[in-house]
Amino acid sequence: MRELRNIDDETAAYILQTRKPFEDFRQVAAQIAGLLVLSASGANTASPDHPLLESAAELYQDALDEVRGAQPTERALVHHRCLLDASTALSAALTAARANLAVDSVMTPLHRAYSYLQKSSATLPGFEMVSFAQGCCAPHQRGVES
Amino acid sequence: MNRYSIWVMEFAHVPQYHLSGLIYGAHNQGYRRLPYCYVVIKGHGQVAMVDVGYNHKAYGEVLANTYGVRNWHPPREVLAECGITPEDVSTVFITHAHFDHMGNIEDFPNARFYIQERELSKWVWAMSLERRFRWLMLGIDPGDIMRAVDLARQGRLVCVNGDMEDALPGIDLRAAFDTHTWASMYVTVRNSEGPNAANTWVFAGDLAYTYENLRGNDPDDPQYIPIGLATGSQVNIIQTAEEMVKAAQGDPERVIPPHEDRLGTMFPSRTTAANLRITELALADAEPSRVRC
Repeated sequence: MRELRNIDDETAAYILQTRKPFEDFRQVAAQIAGLLVLSASGANTASPDHPLLESAAELYQDALDEVRGAQPTERALVHHRCLLDASTALSAALTAARANLAVDSVMTPLHRAYSYLQKSSATLPGFEMVSFAQGCCAPHQRGVES
Repeated sequence: MNRYSIWVMEFAHVPQYHLSGLIYGAHNQGYRRLPYCYVVIKGHGQVAMVDVGYNHKAYGEVLANTYGVRNWHPPREVLAECGITPEDVSTVFITHAHFDHMGNIEDFPNARFYIQERELSKWVWAMSLERRFRWLMLGIDPGDIMRAVDLARQGRLVCVNGDMEDALPGIDLRAAFDTHTWASMYVTVRNSEGPNAANTWVFAGDLAYTYENLRGNDPDDPQYIPIGLATGSQVNIIQTAEEMVKAAQGDPERVIPPHEDRLGTMFPSRTTAANLRITELALADAEPSRVRC
């Protein structure tokens, strides 16, 4: 996690409130992309009625409700705007995927959603696009310099 | 005579990595330098790579600031030390779908990427689980999945089901299901023409991080010790270690763990002006050494 110093209490509360929906949006994007990989690589299990899309839609809705309910401070306004923009793009990607799992029509909004999520992760600490914790290449930081 | 020239090329490193991450159970036993490397295989008119490193644009800053990863350099700069450009790379073997092995896909615009199909399908399965199972998504970047979609759309993603002989001449892909990841694979290079297998190299991906995984700590009484992180079975990991050593004619030193810092002292190597190590494992005919002046 990036530096949390210099974050006021209200913004810290906002961060805690929106971390889970951020991760859920990231997960929805991954779910849609995962089905697209299977579809684009010819797997016959990938289809618009795949149960993963249903669970992605449910996860999306829950996350959207939490984001809409969040109260951003001035410091967090850009972050919140990015999450809302990501949600709009994810909604479009979900709609396209459930209509027809055609790669082109889904990927355009999905790329857009991912970009907004990336942008949001850069504006405040505590939001990471990859879960590195405990990973093989996530060493415990010892404050060493090469 | 070697079919291929082979180099292990460092592109970043962690100065001090906890040993228990590399060797199962090695708690409180200190730290070790951990290089991040990919393997370049050149010959038969092709340039192939084993893994491509991570996407610095997407999360390099996070890795540097939070986890101590240092000295990342782009493939164009790293490969230039061997006279190669990213555009020259025609084939990439992705040993597994972690961000630091497949994250840099988009820097290789002409390459076909080989990955185990099960590695992808189990991604999708893991994504379908409840949030409390999110550990199973460890190290996976949604952006990588989208880049894989783009590859598939361009016809540059080859899904492999199990072992594949001669993916390129003399280069075999060996599946290692339910080990470090759902469907890791290791790559063998039979580097002599003809049926003589006495010149085989094995590229372990993350199925071995260090030589202790392949021969333990006592040279007189070797044993396999699993790596420190696995989504799958440690039993499968040590059985895969046995397979890899056998594929290397019983010589663990011909099994190459790309994160092993001692490669540079075991084989000819040099350190570049950017403080990156190049290790030269083999040279094909007419290929000049890239480590000896």
